Amino acid sequence: MALLPIRFERRLTYTRTAAILTTILAILLAFGAVAILFIILGLDVAAAFQTILNVFITPRLFFQAVVRGVPITLAALGLAIAFRMNFWNIGAEGQIYMGAFASTGIVLAHIYYGFLPEVLVLPTMFLTAFLAGGAWCLLPAVLKAKLNVNEILTTLMMNFIAILWVAYLIYGPWRDPEGFGFPLSIPFPDYAKFLFIAGNQAYTGFTITLIVAALIYLLFRYGKLGFELTVIGQSLDAARYAGINIAKAIVLGAFLSGGLAGIGGLSILSGIIGRLRPDLSPGYGYTAIIVSFLAALNPWLIVPAGIFFGGLFTAGEALQATLKIPGAAVEMFQSIIFIFIIFGEFLKRYRIVVGGGGSGG
Amino acid sequence: MSESPLVLMKDIVKRFPGVLANDHVTFELRRGEVHALLGENGAGKTTLMNILYGLYKPDSGEIYVKGRKANIRSPRDAIRLGIGMVHQHFRLIPTHTVTENIILGLKEAGFVINYKKMNEEIKRLAESYGWKINPDARMWQLSAGEKQQVEILKALYRKAEILILDEPTSVLTPQETRALFRAVRRMAEEGKGVIFITHKLEEVMEVSDRVTVMRKGRVVVTKNTRDTNPQELANYMVGRPVIFEIEKKELQPGDPVAVIKDLYAMSDKGVLALKGVNLEVRRNEILGLAGVTGNGQVELVEVITGLRKAVKGRVIIDGKDVTNRSPREIMELGVAYIPPETLRWGVVPSLRVVDNLFLKAYRYPPFSKSAVIDWKKVYEKAEELIREFEIITPSPFVKTRTLSGGNIQRLILARELSGIIGGGVPKLIVAAYPTKGLDVGATEFVLKTLVKYRDMGSGVLLVSEDLEEILRVSDRVAVIFDGKIMGVFKSSEADIEEIGLLMAGVKEKAKAG
Repeated sequence: MALLPIRFERRLTYTRTAAILTTILAILLAFGAVAILFIILGLDVAAAFQTILNVFITPRLFFQAVVRGVPITLAALGLAIAFRMNFWNIGAEGQIYMGAFASTGIVLAHIYYGFLPEVLVLPTMFLTAFLAGGAWCLLPAVLKAKLNVNEILTTLMMNFIAILWVAYLIYGPWRDPEGFGFPLSIPFPDYAKFLFIAGNQAYTGFTITLIVAALIYLLFRYGKLGFELTVIGQSLDAARYAGINIAKAIVLGAFLSGGLAGIGGLSILSGIIGRLRPDLSPGYGYTAIIVSFLAALNPWLIVPAGIFFGGLFTAGEALQATLKIPGAAVEMFQSIIFIFIIFGEFLKRYRIVVGGGGSGG
Repeated sequence: MSESPLVLMKDIVKRFPGVLANDHVTFELRRGEVHALLGENGAGKTTLMNILYGLYKPDSGEIYVKGRKANIRSPRDAIRLGIGMVHQHFRLIPTHTVTENIILGLKEAGFVINYKKMNEEIKRLAESYGWKINPDARMWQLSAGEKQQVEILKALYRKAEILILDEPTSVLTPQETRALFRAVRRMAEEGKGVIFITHKLEEVMEVSDRVTVMRKGRVVVTKNTRDTNPQELANYMVGRPVIFEIEKKELQPGDPVAVIKDLYAMSDKGVLALKGVNLEVRRNEILGLAGVTGNGQVELVEVITGLRKAVKGRVIIDGKDVTNRSPREIMELGVAYIPPETLRWGVVPSLRVVDNLFLKAYRYPPFSKSAVIDWKKVYEKAEELIREFEIITPSPFVKTRTLSGGNIQRLILARELSGIIGGGVPKLIVAAYPTKGLDVGATEFVLKTLVKYRDMGSGVLLVSEDLEEILRVSDRVAVIFDGKIMGVFKSSEADIEEIGLLMAGVKEKAKAG
């Protein structure tokens, strides 16, 4: 039932150069498609592209891109662990929210009860955000390891619980009493923000992502756990045969994965918006899935890919602010780029054959 | 015959990283012949056929199908040209019926499928080759032989005139093999061409009209089968006279290293596969377990090695009760395990050779400390193991799937036996079908290695479907049928006729040996 004389054939081999070229081409084509979208909307394409380009060449805007890239990168680094072992964690978004929830809890507790010295507030936030994000991934992992429950469904559904939980808190008990009724928490004091390197959120956030990327690299290069996760991801039967404790490794790997997304949640509050908000993430946790795959789960590539996508979010805002492009168009702009990149990934594995008979088989 | 051949492959060259898999190979298949493609594992037979079937693209060379130049870029192209291939590992969907599997992906089936008509057609097609198949049966209900028939029917239903069978007998019982040979001869009579990949000489003599022998990527010779004999073919294949003898020291078996008492266990399908097995493996002896595949052998070795739970009974290794302990605890007691279905259980094909060598030992000193693997030590030891077990690989860092079957088995032997896991000689070696699918040279290596470790003090449980092989290397033979041990013999006193009857479940012998 071929409606079009087009079919896809699996590529037998593809070289690294071809893969990189495909990605670049996909991005260029995406911008081509975006140009068409802008023309349809009657926008000034040159000005719009100038605005997008500015994000990556103007230091002030590029800092914004980095700042937004940080939560994406942290979540994507965590996902790389899960994806290596074939654990399809698509719950980074919820894990981000849980990380944000836990870190806000520490800030509020400190403000109201003052039980910690100020210097220890941020480290405690790191710890609790990690634990909360990890715990959020733990339940799906245990269900998967013990009862073989599909983690795609459970991690996804856990997202909604986390997002609504944060919404409840911020419309209820955690609303700032002096915030004129807006759904916002008390602003974070400076000691709870990412200012400890050069007093700058971009530098601080970027340094954190580099440290985490290095840790992931080391985990898979030298760690017993990293080796076990790789074996599990490639062959569950061989892992069993080798005597690897699969349930333990999956639970541990999932915990690390969720924990890093939790740190990503912390980085949104302490590194970007400075307080808890119900809409704290515009889908960073989902973008992180694309980033992780685009970088082929390589931690060192995840960092620049995360910043690139952070730049797209920044560009979207700039377009809205300077050219008065409607928010929906901005979302379309981002979605188009995502789709082209995903299609580029597909083309790395398959080639398109037009015509050529195409009998069944 | 002035007619152009069904297939002509000319000057085919295919290079893989570090290996020249096909070195200017020329191969011809005529109408109405069964053409055996003979060679050791890694000789390039399967590569050549994968090229014909469009799975690989040759680096150079030309392919002509029925006299016309063909550009085969995918199995779809091959199928359109009338080429069908039955792989060693079946590619069928277990929960689908026979008919559903056969018409899967078939465009002619249309959008609304007329199952009644297709069932009828498939049944008739099967009967024309002497096969009885229920088109509504689900794949998981079928035996290996029946699954293979479905694979062949799948190709024939697509009007294949050129049929490639990759080591088709490796999964069959002797009776099923005979039925297959009859069907293959019938196809040849109909004017089809059948390419029969094998490394078994008797099969070549029995079923083929012509034979092409390959060695190290090259064609050594193509001959009419009636003009040659097994000894000559073996020489072509190996490049030297083959020695089938394995030297073995006379040894007095020692204390039991494994005692299995009244063992019961379920199969994957949830039925009892072991029904009260009693066995003893002693130091310095090889106990061969003979039987037709699927009578509980795999379940037995899995229970011994901790991969499957026992329902009842005990497994005692070196005096310790290890029933239902974890695979890791059991391996740490000195149990080496050479698993069946190497590519599924034995190695991770997508990982490097060194990773697979250390698939178990990575967690033990000196190869790791606390949570960190010491790769420098691992690499050094890997080089040593590759030399000692004569694993042919361009380097320890290539993907394991690029190795031939024989070399993958050497890798597994190195990992299990060299002492990197527990240190020292293994107390018990459980070897499940360790020579299955291997060529003469690799088989010899595996069996000699097992005998060597037996001489060094290990107890060996050797599971095999090759009775001759068992009698050649074992000290004692146990026969398993339907989850029970039918009898135990000293190999020197074994009567092949009687063992055959026990394997078929015809009679039970009082315990001996």
